[in-house]
Amino acid sequence: MIKHFINFEWKQFTRSSYFQKGLTIKILLFIAVIYFGGMALLLGTGLFFILKKIMPELDPIVVVNNYLIFWILTDLVIRYFMQQLPVMNIKPLMLIPIKKSKVINYLLGKTTISFFNFIPIFIFLPFSIVLLVHDYPVLNVLSWFFSVIFIAFSTNFLNFLINKSNIGFYSILSVLVVFVGLEFFNIFKTSHFFGIAFNALYNNPIFTIIPFLVLVGMYYLNFSFIKKSFYVDGAISKEIKEVNATDLSWMNRFGSTATFLKNDVKLIYRNARPKQVVLMSFLFLFYGLIFYTQDAYKDMPAMMAFASIFVTGGFLLTFGQLVPSWDSEYYKMLMSQNIQYKEYLKSKWYLMVFGVSLSFVLSTPYIYFGWKIYGLIAAAASFNIGLNSFITLFGGALNRVPIELNVKAKAFGNTNGFNPTQLLIALPKMVLPMLLFYIPYKLINYEAGIISLGLSGVLGIVFQNFFLNKIEKIYQTGKYKTIAAFGEKNN
Amino acid sequence: MIKTTNLSKKYGNVTVLNIESLEIPKGQAFGLVGNNGAGKTTYFNLLLDLIAPTTGTIFNNEIQVNTSEDWKPFTASFIDESFLIGYLTAEEYFYFIGELRGMNKADIDTFLEQFSEIFNDEIIGKKKYLRDLSKGNQKKAGIVAALIGNPEVIILDEPFANLDPTTQIRLKKLLSDLTKDSNSTVLISSHDLGHITEVCERIVVLDKGSVVKDLKTSEATLKELEAYFSV
Repeated sequence: MIKHFINFEWKQFTRSSYFQKGLTIKILLFIAVIYFGGMALLLGTGLFFILKKIMPELDPIVVVNNYLIFWILTDLVIRYFMQQLPVMNIKPLMLIPIKKSKVINYLLGKTTISFFNFIPIFIFLPFSIVLLVHDYPVLNVLSWFFSVIFIAFSTNFLNFLINKSNIGFYSILSVLVVFVGLEFFNIFKTSHFFGIAFNALYNNPIFTIIPFLVLVGMYYLNFSFIKKSFYVDGAISKEIKEVNATDLSWMNRFGSTATFLKNDVKLIYRNARPKQVVLMSFLFLFYGLIFYTQDAYKDMPAMMAFASIFVTGGFLLTFGQLVPSWDSEYYKMLMSQNIQYKEYLKSKWYLMVFGVSLSFVLSTPYIYFGWKIYGLIAAAASFNIGLNSFITLFGGALNRVPIELNVKAKAFGNTNGFNPTQLLIALPKMVLPMLLFYIPYKLINYEAGIISLGLSGVLGIVFQNFFLNKIEKIYQTGKYKTIAAFGEKNN
Repeated sequence: MIKTTNLSKKYGNVTVLNIESLEIPKGQAFGLVGNNGAGKTTYFNLLLDLIAPTTGTIFNNEIQVNTSEDWKPFTASFIDESFLIGYLTAEEYFYFIGELRGMNKADIDTFLEQFSEIFNDEIIGKKKYLRDLSKGNQKKAGIVAALIGNPEVIILDEPFANLDPTTQIRLKKLLSDLTKDSNSTVLISSHDLGHITEVCERIVVLDKGSVVKDLKTSEATLKELEAYFSV
């Protein structure tokens, strides 16, 4: 039977639309997997030496143990966003004479063959080997390695349980934020406590039994959870949520675009995929921290401009690049209804302007890094509103990948809304602002760079109608192709 | 009202639709029948400019549908569930369509009252998203949405499929009233020969993309259609 299951998986994989999308994507995906896998291997091998260099007074294994808890929690949050329990496929198997337990075991077993489970193996296996080479006690290293892997797999299963309830997710997220906060401000070293626990795990190989039991427990919980709801109206059925109606009539002040804006707002908070994207775009706000805190970038203002684009452009870049795919499920209706294409595009533009403005308000704390940087962020926000928004809309015209709104995206499992054209169109979004800033900066000074970048955005707003008309024409020309492409998934 | 000339649609070498000439006068209840793959939905899609014709033209009220968008204000349609916005409730969806057609909330509320029988308390005020409704209820919502704003041309692809018997009977009455009272041109397709002969005054049979019969509905029509299809 397992043979059949695996055969189905293979067919599902090779016959799925994203796999047949073309060689370019396959190659890109392959490169991405190799890249992340390679990075993990490199990190695993180098970790020992890096830690030795940064903290020579401490044993690298102790340092790793001290911070292990943060890795576990981060892993859990990432998994929450990217990894889903593949339950939807069991429906056709329910009528066939196979034992339920067999199907469930297979299903749960399948989840272990995941990218997220390979990463810890890729990191900690080389790390353990390096430890062994450096004459660490074999039994301790081995039992520690297996403990870590057991923990990774426990997170794998814990994630599926959390996925069923929002409360679980938000409590984990807040615990993580509190931990990092306490650690960062030196109030209470939470890592210290867990560090002791993990070090004890390393020093006493017998303790490996604990993570092992946790893993077994997690597996059992998942198993009984699925078994209990192994009915068409159980776990595999779509959850029917009660509507929480919100009155958005205040948006009517935006005139004829309000009709669409109201829908877009509902689109975002009522569907899994856009919600995920918007939460991700929130993380972009912190992108600046990477660049502004590093001395290495102090002398590379072009990179600073690059980072500033991301600080306010998170929503624009992540949500905006998938216009009009967000409406792919009912695009035929939009095309045959009494709708002016321009109004539709304009509403999307307003939405992006709103996203950038909100991010800009939220980015106020960056004043901490000085007015020079904050000025750059403001100029970048102007560019995002005035030019980047139109470049993004233009890119959307070339984007014909349908999106399933209420299905979360999976890492490497789903290339929805990902294509080479997208990558090409992403280039001007990043390179253009760098040039707009860098050239006047080189020729005159820093302030001139800011003014140039800021003015470019104003220019875009002034010529708003011109851009919208041009973009509308492009959308009209590609109309039939877009309808056909969006229809592929829906029928 | 709708004038089709030399219309054809080809995918590669396969001709899926080929209509030399077809004219539908204003106010007619027009029925389209044919087996699977006969080209019914293709014709409707062409009429709504959702696919490009290989040759020929369709004029909707003197407006060539694939060169101008001016037919949209007076044309309404429901082809399949992809015409619904899944994450809206039925009310929200009706209000949305209403706004597109220049009707405010109050107008829509009054408009919806006449359908309370058809909705059978399962669609309005249920706090459910359209995507969570049953197929039949989705269809009801879609058909009613297509009637919002007194459109002059109404296109419904297989409106009777998936509906419960009571609603089928009510829908028949509704469609008949529509053509009598408001002078709307109604185009429907169906696999149910009984229903379509009851509702439509004219029935065109498509086979492999071509018009093979063009009948004015009379007592004998149902017999004739049944004879044609029982091969």
